[in-house]
Amino acid sequence: MKKLVQLNVNGDTHELAVNPDETLLGVLRNHLDLIGPKRGCDSGGCGCCTVHVDGKAVYSCMMYAVSAQDKNVVTIEGLGQNNDQGNGNGRELDPLQQAFIDAGAVQCGYCTCGVIMAAKELLDTVKNPDEDEIRHAIAGNLCRCTGYQKIVDAIKLAAAAV
Amino acid sequence: MTLSIIGKSVPRPDARDKVTGGKGYPVNVRLPGMLHAKMLRSPYPHARILRIDTRAAEQLPGVKAVLTPADCPQRKYTTVYFVPTDAASMVRDMLVMSDTVRYAGQPVAAVAATSIEIAEQALELIEVEYEELPFVFDPEEAMQPGAPQLHEHAEHNIAVNPVMEFGDLEAGFAAADHVFEGVYETQRVHTCYMEPRVCVVDADGNGNFVVHSSMQHLFGLREKLAYVLGIPESRVRVIKPPYIGGGFGGKLDIGYIEPIAALLSVRANRPVRIEQTRYEDFISTARHPIKVYLKTGITKDGVFTARYAKSILDTGAHATHGAEVINVHGAFGFLLTYRCEHRKWEGYSVYTNNMVGGGYRGYGSPQACFAVESQIDEICDELNLDPIEFRRKNAHQPGDPHPFVQGMHLDTYAFDECLTRGAERIGYAQRTPANTDAGHIKRGVGFACQPLWVSGCLGFPDIYEHSGAIIKLNVDGTADLSTAAMDLGSGQITTLCQIAAEALGLPMEAVRITETADTTTVPFDAPSHASRVTYSAGNAVLAAANVAKERMLKVAGIMLEADAGDLEARDGRITVKGSPDISIAIADVVRRAESPFIQVTEDGPGPTTVEEKGTIIGLSSTAPAGNPSPASVGFVEVTVDTETGEVRVERAVYAHDLGKVINPNGAEGQVEGGFQQAIGYALMENLQFDENSGACLTGDFLDYKMPTAVEMPRSIESIFIESNEPTGPYGAKSLSEPCITVPAPAIANAIFNATGVRIRDLPITPEKILVALGKLPSE
Repeated sequence: MKKLVQLNVNGDTHELAVNPDETLLGVLRNHLDLIGPKRGCDSGGCGCCTVHVDGKAVYSCMMYAVSAQDKNVVTIEGLGQNNDQGNGNGRELDPLQQAFIDAGAVQCGYCTCGVIMAAKELLDTVKNPDEDEIRHAIAGNLCRCTGYQKIVDAIKLAAAAV
Repeated sequence: MTLSIIGKSVPRPDARDKVTGGKGYPVNVRLPGMLHAKMLRSPYPHARILRIDTRAAEQLPGVKAVLTPADCPQRKYTTVYFVPTDAASMVRDMLVMSDTVRYAGQPVAAVAATSIEIAEQALELIEVEYEELPFVFDPEEAMQPGAPQLHEHAEHNIAVNPVMEFGDLEAGFAAADHVFEGVYETQRVHTCYMEPRVCVVDADGNGNFVVHSSMQHLFGLREKLAYVLGIPESRVRVIKPPYIGGGFGGKLDIGYIEPIAALLSVRANRPVRIEQTRYEDFISTARHPIKVYLKTGITKDGVFTARYAKSILDTGAHATHGAEVINVHGAFGFLLTYRCEHRKWEGYSVYTNNMVGGGYRGYGSPQACFAVESQIDEICDELNLDPIEFRRKNAHQPGDPHPFVQGMHLDTYAFDECLTRGAERIGYAQRTPANTDAGHIKRGVGFACQPLWVSGCLGFPDIYEHSGAIIKLNVDGTADLSTAAMDLGSGQITTLCQIAAEALGLPMEAVRITETADTTTVPFDAPSHASRVTYSAGNAVLAAANVAKERMLKVAGIMLEADAGDLEARDGRITVKGSPDISIAIADVVRRAESPFIQVTEDGPGPTTVEEKGTIIGLSSTAPAGNPSPASVGFVEVTVDTETGEVRVERAVYAHDLGKVINPNGAEGQVEGGFQQAIGYALMENLQFDENSGACLTGDFLDYKMPTAVEMPRSIESIFIESNEPTGPYGAKSLSEPCITVPAPAIANAIFNATGVRIRDLPITPEKILVALGKLPSE
């Protein structure tokens, strides 16, 4: 039996009929075509699906979509400013997104959106975090390509920029 | 001429898409009418299927196709992408589905339905009657008389048994002052690519298949799928994904999913998608556990007189990569690494009822390096020799004949400099003896070497080693580069564009990789594996760029009324050498070549010539001229808590002769990521299975532990030594694999330096250290 749920995602409101056991990740990807959150494990172990719910970084694979009713969900697609000047260059990136490019923190990129969302919560709540705070903030996000060093560099770079 | 783009940390062209969502992954592919499939897997490690009843599943609304072993082709194959299926070195023992189950988790049926949920429900309705068979999980037990036989063709379950011998081993041991023996064991670990294995296969009803998949080799998938289905290769069109979510060797073979999706697609007449769960991924591929028996003869001054090793590799239920990993392990991990006249190695790749092993960065070398480099330190400790001098004394020298590729030499080979500069940076000479620290935190320094490695597969007779590229210039002064070479995340989109831009004299941002390529539109390429892409595909890109450049300079020569040989291209312009004032934009040259015979410019209409006409384009398909060896040494500093047994890697220094750095930031990223995988291998990662059922016990990331940002050292320093390899693009040779090979023995050696404890089996867990310290009873 499907349930109606009203989701606020990246500032837009969607009314959707979902199965009660459908995860927020499944709904974001399959109903709303938001591909930033990614399925890496479906068991809260990798962090590729990290999004913000009311400003907190959560694993969207570990939350039922119906539990997100009336909450504000932000995915990587909701970061940055819409700055379209008709030249096709699209959105102005969030300082974290730009820092990940500048520091070379992206390799295969599959974990990247989740790591950025985890780091975003840190930078939203802690001013000038030190290296240990940065590493602990992203300890729930696995990356197999980078060894995390350039990810940490990128978060430091973004912290200095904001 | 100075280089303008090579050697610079230009940003990755694919980074913006990846930080804003990431459109280019195969996991995002959706086709109209697409179905979702799931596989039913055997709960038994060894069994015969007596009966499968799928009637109830077929009746379930939404189910569109069901597949059982009886519906599958029974032509045996090997899964490995980098060889043709009929290669002599390979063992053809695989089936899409078989009546015999050889490991717990082997697919025995599959269902395609309108949703994943319906497909999962349908699996529960399938009845399978099994006859359980005796099973064996230990490879040495599997080799004993009377052990359960897994395959008719393999007596004593030995899939392959390579032996390589040089000189006279007995004479070598007779000449030794000391003989050392040791047994070293490594465990089964997973590559842990983050994007699951996923595919969408669309059978068009006319006998053609379009395939999307997260894999490391377009043409390998085409050849394997065509072989399995028994159809001509051109009937299979494999689409190149712009990128995939990691591979590391774990996507270097056709899975069950592609043929199963293809067969279901035919039956349902609709596209079929299969996405593996993480549990399924964990039992799909792994680095093989290898037990190495080492015996080494040495003079009192520390020179090898004889080296012998026997390696037992657990290949699991099928040979696949196990038939080749064993050879690379023996040759590049053991036999060829150091000078020694008298050497012998025997390898056994053994069938067991375990999951099937696969490719993983290093490809057999990490297992050997752990044994060899641990034992060298044991020898040095016993004989009071300097470990750096020992390696130096036994090392190959620049100019030596290449120990593997006949007729070639180690023309560029800076192993010595790797040792010197790495040791200096970490302060190796200042290390203190074990247990110098007063408290329970003991500090130690260790290192290990991968003295010899490959840049691709030239010299391996069965293995593909050629690449191709197409470069097409546009009228706005940009260029499109098409290639089948895959970027698994390690940065080839960037480095190949850098090579093309440098060769054509274009700015970096003017060159882009085309997002639309498939097996019908681009030349053949060998897989992204064997540390080969920068060197081999880089050479192919350079060759294509040079073809395009020749035509570009010819047109420019007509326009500038100069000899093409007197022109040079740089920063988007073509200039007469020595006369910087006489120049023209590359965009204007391309526009001229693409214009009608009367070209309208700002100066009005003007005639052009027939010789100028035609797209400025370059094509190449070529094998590289060599297989130059990189050299590498990794140093680590660790702390060991002798109360808890916990090991922390505090600092790492890695020195590597890679010929020439194309992109320093990208190269560092390779090393840092390699250390993450290797620290996991050394200290914590271990795929474990129930000893009665064979079921995987570490099927998610809560049970399978890999290093997070917290466990990683705060500092990983890369030292890149540029020996300028003449056969490489701009002097480059390879990087990717040795940085994952050396850390485990370096860590074991550092733990010994800290505590005096020598652990010879991975992973080095706190329990093993406490047992060795006498603080926990041994089992």
